[in-house]
Amino acid sequence: MNKRDARIGILFASPWILGFLIFLTYPLIASLVYSLTNFSILRPPKYIGFQNYRELFHDQVFYTSLSNTLLYVAGAVPLSTIVAIGLAMLLNTKVKGMSIYRTMFFLPTLVPMVALGTLFLWVFNGDYGLLNAAFHKVNVTPPNWLGDPTWAKWTLILISIWGCGQAMVIYLAGLQDVPVSLYEAADLDGAKAWAKTKSVTIPMISPVILFNVIMGIIGAMQIFAVPYVMFPGGAPARSTYFYTSYLYDNAFQYQRMGYASAMGWVLFAITITLTTIALKLSDKHVHYEAN
Amino acid sequence: MSQTNISRSQSLQNQKRFKIAAAHVALVLLSILFVLPLIWMLSTAVKPIGETMTTPPRWIPSQFLWGNFKDAIAYDSKELGYIPFLVYARNTIIITLLAVGGSVLSNAIVAYSFARIKWPGRDLFFSITLATMMVPFPVTMVPTFALFKWLGWVGTFKPLWVPAFFASAFSIFLLRQFYRTIPMELSEAAKIDGCSEFRIFTDVVAPLSRPALMVVALFTFMGAWNDFLGPLIYLVDQKTFTLSLGLQAYQSQHGGTQWNLLMAASCLVILPVIVVFFFAQKVFIQGIATSGLK
Amino acid sequence: MTLPNILGVTAAAIVLAGAAVLGDKVVSRQTRTDRVTVIYWEKWTGDEAKEMRKVVDAFNRSQDRIVVQYLSISGVDTKTMLATAGGNPPDVAGIWLENLYEFSDANALTDLKPMADAAGLDASYYIKNYYDPLTYNGGLWALPSTPASIALHVRPDLVPKEYSTPETFPKTIEGLDQMVDKISKKKDNGDLIMAGFLPSNPGWWNWAWGPYFGGSLFDGKNLTLDSKENVRAFDWVRTYAKRFGAKEVQSFQSGFGTFASPQDPFMEGKVATEMNGVWKANYIRVYKKGLPWFAVPFPYPEDRKDLEGHSNLSQDVLTIPRGAKHPKEAFEFIKFVQRQDVMEGLCQGHGKNSPLAKVSEHFFNTHQNTYIRLFDQLARSPKAFNPPAIGILPQVRDELNVAFQEVSTEQKKPDQALHDAQQRMDTLWATYKDQVLNR
Repeated sequence: MNKRDARIGILFASPWILGFLIFLTYPLIASLVYSLTNFSILRPPKYIGFQNYRELFHDQVFYTSLSNTLLYVAGAVPLSTIVAIGLAMLLNTKVKGMSIYRTMFFLPTLVPMVALGTLFLWVFNGDYGLLNAAFHKVNVTPPNWLGDPTWAKWTLILISIWGCGQAMVIYLAGLQDVPVSLYEAADLDGAKAWAKTKSVTIPMISPVILFNVIMGIIGAMQIFAVPYVMFPGGAPARSTYFYTSYLYDNAFQYQRMGYASAMGWVLFAITITLTTIALKLSDKHVHYEAN
Repeated sequence: MSQTNISRSQSLQNQKRFKIAAAHVALVLLSILFVLPLIWMLSTAVKPIGETMTTPPRWIPSQFLWGNFKDAIAYDSKELGYIPFLVYARNTIIITLLAVGGSVLSNAIVAYSFARIKWPGRDLFFSITLATMMVPFPVTMVPTFALFKWLGWVGTFKPLWVPAFFASAFSIFLLRQFYRTIPMELSEAAKIDGCSEFRIFTDVVAPLSRPALMVVALFTFMGAWNDFLGPLIYLVDQKTFTLSLGLQAYQSQHGGTQWNLLMAASCLVILPVIVVFFFAQKVFIQGIATSGLK
Repeated sequence: MTLPNILGVTAAAIVLAGAAVLGDKVVSRQTRTDRVTVIYWEKWTGDEAKEMRKVVDAFNRSQDRIVVQYLSISGVDTKTMLATAGGNPPDVAGIWLENLYEFSDANALTDLKPMADAAGLDASYYIKNYYDPLTYNGGLWALPSTPASIALHVRPDLVPKEYSTPETFPKTIEGLDQMVDKISKKKDNGDLIMAGFLPSNPGWWNWAWGPYFGGSLFDGKNLTLDSKENVRAFDWVRTYAKRFGAKEVQSFQSGFGTFASPQDPFMEGKVATEMNGVWKANYIRVYKKGLPWFAVPFPYPEDRKDLEGHSNLSQDVLTIPRGAKHPKEAFEFIKFVQRQDVMEGLCQGHGKNSPLAKVSEHFFNTHQNTYIRLFDQLARSPKAFNPPAIGILPQVRDELNVAFQEVSTEQKKPDQALHDAQQRMDTLWATYKDQVLNR
């Protein structure tokens, strides 16, 4: 490593270094500082110590929005993962017209949030919706998707599964990297389909699974746009009021930026905790290729 | 060959054929399921308003109001007032163009530095970079807003594309993995020829990285085109809105919505993305595959 | 670098630079140098915007020192607050009365009292119920653009003959409920076909149910969300959830068309009565001319005849944010809007009543709303009420919306829902008083 290389290396990396300092380090520290103040953006921040955090821990809506978010993560991430892997495995069978199928599964992820939200307001509509029409055809009483506090969350989970195309594409790429020789060896051992999946496929793509699951958790924890459009105010009765919705309202509707910053840091702490748990669990189960 | 061997390979063949047929059936059913809501969107877009809400839902409109697409982008619709769809489209194109350009440029060069130049603290900093992907957007949202406010950029497009010129963790990660698959010998040969690091980057590595750069470009494009929270916070005057934000204008604030026009507008908004994706598909998949997210 | 590469990169650079410059042009606020430009942010779009633009044009034509630029801003209240914080506010901001108290507490508005008094725009010029809420903490924070009062709109062709005129329509809540039971139609499976009345339609004033039953929300010092009249109001809301079924109401309502179309539920006959504002007549005239309808004051509880003639009021207001570049010129425009002929023209165009104490006969005679005198009367009634003048009104309003939803979906009993709302708002109010008011 010579001096010239070091200089050029840092020079090339400088956009990111600057970006890292300006858009990440500074906001993180600033947000921590703001969280210790009462900051209503029209007046300079006033230091109030840990009062925001104390208030947060007594705030019913904080717990409601947090539990809504965690429930959503617990539902959306595993289900999307299973569906995405399943679809990728189907696509990996090298049937004809693969690129058409691939596009069709990927298409939903290209739809902007507002359009998605309003489209699904339609699909899940109690009287006129697509989904309930199907239910009525088979004479089953459908749940009240949009009006029932329990089912509203499931609506959002189903929508997230529908949007698993991005993860699916990454899984597909991972599957295509699995050496065929391993499958052939399993075949010779007389392994059936499920056994092959369990002992060859899953372990071989486990790093990809880990990556997608972590990205999935991080993304799901921040859900905002679709509920904003479909369930204003977290209707019905705050059952779809998520953490970021409450954070946004505090910052921009109620002018409580200090309080919102405290919420942001709590979210950060929870996200890191969940990610660390995922990583620790993965040590036992994830199989890495020798580099 | 003995009888048992022939029948064994036959049965394996039959198994394989059955599997492929089953896969076909599953794929057809599932892909229809996935695309169904979008077809519904298209069908609703061309319906007269009275047919958008019927029990049971109508798939085929009684008349195909292709004019709805024109109405959706018309400047002064009777029902909704002034919705400058084309203005929103122009704004979105400007912002997306800048974001994609900045993203490709900055990520290409930054990832190169992580992958192919040795400098002190490089690997530690890379781990930190990965860790930054864990920082949820809401945490930095408020101070970043305050920063842009201090710069006087709130109400302009700048907060939506300037950060793209400073690279992003995800794209750095993707590109770095890709660059590492390019043999160092190529760089070394160029060095012996007297090329500067920059020339190696532009003449040797970059041309080989097209698939991966396409992936970065495509992800950035989709992110910028569909971004909702950013424009919501930073754009003020209605004439500066983007499409994703402007679609909300079709949703009346006071209940009830011009559904068919909203769906028509949404179809128009999705169209460019679908077109871009369709043509870039192969390169895109190739890019992800070779970047090896492992 | 090879030549094609260099050309490609240069072309890309030019395109990007061009986009950046174009982007800046798009967002710039052009100002003229010959006249003072007053930037006016307003919430209205469509026809309502057209009416205000007429006023703006008239003002611009009437003198040559000032030119007002009208801009349609959605989310105008949030954006104004943020722009004021950023030191770059508009000169005139058209927000809602409901925003006034938090903006004033946050020191975001200019006190208009000195300028208004000098112009003769004092309490005697306006209807008391519209002027009083604009004064707060000793200052005058806004002047009206257009006001509104609310009444019950009725379809005489959908209610029984004995109730089909304003004089014979039930005056009490109990009478209304009985009628609703008689006329509402359902399918065999419980799906609603026509509802006599729905508290959740349009659902914009859930904070007002308590006051309609004689309750109050704020006594000037403390919040009183769970007072017994308020609980009684929500008990009454609950009867509608039981009467129709929460799920059925939600399904039914999600199929309603927009109010600016013939598919509006009242116009389509999906509801026989609807609580709505003075502007409703305008929409009926545009989208379903000839529709039979009349308006009556919202019913009162049997045992509270003292509440007769009540109505919840609202208004769109014009403010001058603190730090506006041209406050004096901004006030010139606001003063112009307050002129009787201008104000009446604007309100008439919007289909609303006028906030001024004096109203010309011409206004009443040529007004498109056949029931305009009723709405005017309701606005002047001593029983009319405004939203509570408290800085945390947005949160209170949201909390009461949640309580309403909890009661309508039968998740919580009314007293529980309001009690929870009270507790939460008490904590918030204490924090707000401590952090914002006691600085």
